[in-house]
Amino acid sequence: MEEDASRDHPASIVAFPTPPATILRRLARRGYVLPTLAILCLARFAVIGRADTLETIHHTKKITCGSDMEGGAPYIYLDPENPNRTIGFEKDLFNAIAADLGAAPVVAQGQWDTLLQVLDSGRVDIVMNGYEWTEEHALRYLSTRPYYVYRLQLMARADAGFRSWSDFTANDSARPRRRRIGVLRGSVAERFARENGGSHTTIIGFDGATDAMEAVVNGQIEATLQDVPSARFYVKRMPKLRLVGDPVGRGYYVIYLRKNDIDLKKRLDHTIERMIQDGSLRTIYERYDVWNDAQVDLASWTPELFATTRTEANTSVGNWAIVAKNLPLLLQGAATTVLLAVASMPLATAIGLILAIARLYGPRPARFLSRVYIEIVRGTPLMLQLYVLFFLFPRLGLTLDPIVAAIAGLAINYSAYEAEIHRAALQAIPIGQFEAALALGMSRGTAIRLIIIPQAARIATPAITNDFIALFKDTSVCSAITLVELTKQYNILALSTGAVVEFAATAALFYLLMGLPFSWLSRRFERNAIGAGSGRGIGI
Amino acid sequence: MIQTNDLWKRYGKTEILRGVSLEVSRGEVAAIIGPSGGGKSTFLRCLNGLESFDGGSVTIDGETIDARVPQARRREANRRICQKIGMVFQAFHLFAHWNVLRNVAEPPIRVLGLSRPEAEERARRLLDRVGMGDRLTAAPSELSGGQQQRVAIARALAMRPQAILFDEPTSALDPRMTGEVLSVMADLARDGQTMIVVTHAIGFARRVAHTVHVFDKGRVVESGPPDRVLENPAQQATRDLLAEQG
Repeated sequence: MEEDASRDHPASIVAFPTPPATILRRLARRGYVLPTLAILCLARFAVIGRADTLETIHHTKKITCGSDMEGGAPYIYLDPENPNRTIGFEKDLFNAIAADLGAAPVVAQGQWDTLLQVLDSGRVDIVMNGYEWTEEHALRYLSTRPYYVYRLQLMARADAGFRSWSDFTANDSARPRRRRIGVLRGSVAERFARENGGSHTTIIGFDGATDAMEAVVNGQIEATLQDVPSARFYVKRMPKLRLVGDPVGRGYYVIYLRKNDIDLKKRLDHTIERMIQDGSLRTIYERYDVWNDAQVDLASWTPELFATTRTEANTSVGNWAIVAKNLPLLLQGAATTVLLAVASMPLATAIGLILAIARLYGPRPARFLSRVYIEIVRGTPLMLQLYVLFFLFPRLGLTLDPIVAAIAGLAINYSAYEAEIHRAALQAIPIGQFEAALALGMSRGTAIRLIIIPQAARIATPAITNDFIALFKDTSVCSAITLVELTKQYNILALSTGAVVEFAATAALFYLLMGLPFSWLSRRFERNAIGAGSGRGIGI
Repeated sequence: MIQTNDLWKRYGKTEILRGVSLEVSRGEVAAIIGPSGGGKSTFLRCLNGLESFDGGSVTIDGETIDARVPQARRREANRRICQKIGMVFQAFHLFAHWNVLRNVAEPPIRVLGLSRPEAEERARRLLDRVGMGDRLTAAPSELSGGQQQRVAIARALAMRPQAILFDEPTSALDPRMTGEVLSVMADLARDGQTMIVVTHAIGFARRVAHTVHVFDKGRVVESGPPDRVLENPAQQATRDLLAEQG
């Protein structure tokens, strides 16, 4: 999350509703100040009790909008002509809104499916980024009147064997093959595909709209369902892709605000209303080629269309029933996390050992190559390596399953770190051990295998265990290549149910529980071993 | 059995060995004495390939290694030599991750291809012989220096070597432990084990060795039976050494 403006809310405590304030005083009197504060933060009272955002905007002359620029065209994206500038139809609309408020527009970058949580946290004032109006969201957030009528567009490769959405989803016995469709995770398209995809369609969630398109180009999936503006924009830039059939589905994009920002909502509604009436909104949309006949409905929209049937929003903490209900999903995510870590770490350790041996005992070219590998892999981010494996390798003709790409990526990344741990441990074994082995007639290889490595392993174990537990948590990066592991599952559930605190606590507990057995195994191994590294250290 | 011919060894510009020619026959106990830095240990390590040398040749049991053969090609010959002659180090170098029994039993299994029961039987017998039969499961770090060195001798013997090289085997030990180790070595000598012993223990050389070689500044300055070299030295270097060591 990057943000230009930082704001203080000294008035937030004054604005507490009475019951929590009473509880606070009672607890504080008993000396539970810190725990009380922690509970308050968790409970997000700070957000509920925040001073009106509109006042703050007037005061700071800034309004901050949460948005995701990654693959964000034509909504909001970096101007290819001038990468210091953001453009897009939403950016132009945001500029107009900010101008009406007499404030400077500030865009805060965040990952698309977490933007509403960012709104909760108070780091942005509004969220406008192709978010549709849904009843679930409407129960927890304020929304403006709609500013765009979206439809969904199926995209596929030019050589695809289907002509339309209904053709793609048909239960056609002539095409029994599983059909995979990529969608932006948490988007309307995902929900639409779930509700209308039929029994033969597998839905794969991506973190970015263009990631899904890329996967179609690579042949990893058959099609992607995208919001029309996105589809129309990128189809011109990806020659292998085609728009398939007429758009499907229909709904409204709205701007979301925190529940108590009623005054700000009224100002935004007013601006949007005016821009619809005077045609300036249409001018913006035509500039970005996103105007179409469906937008006529904007003018005829009435608030009754956004009526909610339920009234009770789940904003209270302690809703553990919903966690219990979704436990199987969380466990599934945890299983993926365990699989990723348990499969990749032994590989990383083995590759690392080979690298360390090559670097220490190998001939000159092997020493050099090992060093280059370690420096390159250690010096580039895991995320980038996963992208290369998953999105770029297919272009070279090697298409990897997400799970294979993830395990390979983690193993490659961690092998460079393990190599250095192994190297330090191997070098810590006294040369005399090696000489004694040679003097007994062992070959160098046998001496390294029988004498040096087992002793080095004991020295390396605590550091490798450390990395293993770190890797457990790093598996969350793999959601970028469509895997739903624990963190991603938590995110999806927290987003769809609103029980952020409960799911976060449960996920954290899972990570802790998954790491503990390995800490225990590692300590037991060290304790049972004799020789170097098993000694009682000073102070024990 | 063991023969060197004009052995030279340099570290950069420093000459460690300056033409050492020496012969040890089967069943002979040869003691090498001399001041520190005289090249004694380096000489021993050249015999089994732990150090390479720059000139001359080493012949062990018919296998010759010549300085003119490139280093990489000497490796295999060195390994064959190491399987024929054992070595006992000043700092013992027992394998720290193995217990006493395994230190002695494992090398014959891995190098000579002995079966485990056979190797363990042999190891027990040898450990009994060096007085360590009651500490089979101890870790090396739990033993005293003298005990470790006796295990190291058993480890060398388990390979049934034709000769054993001792590199200052008692220099790291206090007098009582030195006694333990030297008595084991004297026992081996009585059984006719070929041994080359680099040592500061003049008394041991006098009692046990058949031949004494005096090293000084990278050369053998005097060789002969102990009663002549030690009682009636011909060289000033030998006299200085004996005076120094009392």
